[in-house]
Amino acid sequence: MTRFLEKTVPAFAWLCGAVFLAAIASVVGYLLYKGLRTLDPGLFFGDTAPLDALLMKRRVFGGIFPAMAGTVLLVVLSVGWAVPIGLAAGIYLAEYARGGTKDTLNFFFDILAGLPSIVVGLFGFSLAVFLNKNVSARLHPCLLVSSVALAFLVLPYIIRTTQVSLETVPPRVRMTARSMGATRLQNIFRVLLPQSLPGLSSGVILAIGRCAEDTAVIMLTGAVATAGIPGSLLSHYEALPFYIYYISAQYADQRELATGYGASIVLLAVCLLLFFLAFLVRKSVTSRALYRA
Amino acid sequence: MTLPVKIRTHKISFSYDGKPVLRDATACFHEKSITAIVGPSGCGKSTFLLTLNRLWEEMPNGSMRGTVEMHLDGAFRDIYGKDFPVVQLRRRVGMIFQEPNPLPMSIFRNVAFPLQLAGIRERDLIRNKVERALRKVRLWNEVENRLSDPALSLSGGQQQRMCLARALILEPEVLLLDEPTSSLDPKAVEAVEQLLVDLKGRCTLLVVSHYLDQVRRIADRVVELRDGAFPIDAGTALMG
Repeated sequence: MTRFLEKTVPAFAWLCGAVFLAAIASVVGYLLYKGLRTLDPGLFFGDTAPLDALLMKRRVFGGIFPAMAGTVLLVVLSVGWAVPIGLAAGIYLAEYARGGTKDTLNFFFDILAGLPSIVVGLFGFSLAVFLNKNVSARLHPCLLVSSVALAFLVLPYIIRTTQVSLETVPPRVRMTARSMGATRLQNIFRVLLPQSLPGLSSGVILAIGRCAEDTAVIMLTGAVATAGIPGSLLSHYEALPFYIYYISAQYADQRELATGYGASIVLLAVCLLLFFLAFLVRKSVTSRALYRA
Repeated sequence: MTLPVKIRTHKISFSYDGKPVLRDATACFHEKSITAIVGPSGCGKSTFLLTLNRLWEEMPNGSMRGTVEMHLDGAFRDIYGKDFPVVQLRRRVGMIFQEPNPLPMSIFRNVAFPLQLAGIRERDLIRNKVERALRKVRLWNEVENRLSDPALSLSGGQQQRMCLARALILEPEVLLLDEPTSSLDPKAVEAVEQLLVDLKGRCTLLVVSHYLDQVRRIADRVVELRDGAFPIDAGTALMG
């Protein structure tokens, strides 16, 4: 029996890995098959000349360039809110919180992590309505509200990965700087955080992916079908996942549906690009913090 | 010749999670000499060292009674006193651990690290001090062309010497060494032992060691810790 298990468990593990890879390959393959031929300047810029669109001289109609810009802005903003707050909360949980406080906070962050995104979207929408009624009538669902709501959605990932990677720094490393006269903060910023960068960056990558794909939050908080490139934090905007959702629900002909596939490929590419950026940032921070002579 | 006393401990009792490790350990240690602390494993030797730089305070569940006084700035001072910042203490009392503990950063950064913690910023000064510390531990020739390599790429013996350089860069008055050679090969052991003997001139060294021949080679004095206490009066002067 033991021998049987020794043989079958690895085989099963291999099989699971293969199934997973096959699933990814078929999704990407299908997207490419359906959408590859739509990838031309027209998909991005519609009838506008590409150069005019890039220089923002002329507004793009019927192209996904504004949606790309919207998604990139949205991701950068949301991650920009979530990272500092998440880092601080993660540091607090790992290094300062103890006993009952820690257990309670852990419990609440677990709940927050499990919050369905449509609920977060509703929260963002109510926030916008509240601001509109009580602060200024100029405030309505917009890029700012969406990015805050999305930051709220991804905060638990960043808090958790920060906390876990700090807590798993080996005690020996944790003690080293302290034995040389490092204060608690010096130890956190000069040893523990640089040590945790790989963990932190995987949290950020997770957050980027989530912000880029989420549709439920943004359709309630400011994403619209046509808005052009957002002029300010308080304007409506377009976003790729919303475009994909919209086009696949209301396409008029096969050609329009195909642009949905094209947009999906572009969304994947945008995510890849953002992941790569996050990776580069991590690399450069690591070498700056630890290896520059 | 009797050397002046640098450290005296009075009735240190220590327990982890309520389990007693040290019981009324009283001893004194002399300036500019190597004192070896020996005893069966688990008798509290490492813990005793941790009470001298207060590092046990960073670990959970320890508790300590008793006093430790160190002769610093011309007078005996209670290192647990309220007016004695622990950060200052640890800059003057260096520690070397059983396993070399390079931080996962470059060689240069490792050695310069205590200086940066102390807030020293002048790059030239830091460079000079790093070079001097690395020369002191005879590592300079081996690493001068690869200072920005990760410290973890060094061999075990080199790592331990680098840790020594790192501990020496702040010119500590006391050096605590917890079995500093137990993870090294014979050649590296010899190099480290020679270094310790050289350091006697400016430092008070306390070495926890398992190896009796090592103790015989380098120690000026041997004290035995048994069941958490020093059974023979360790407060006496140097034995020959």
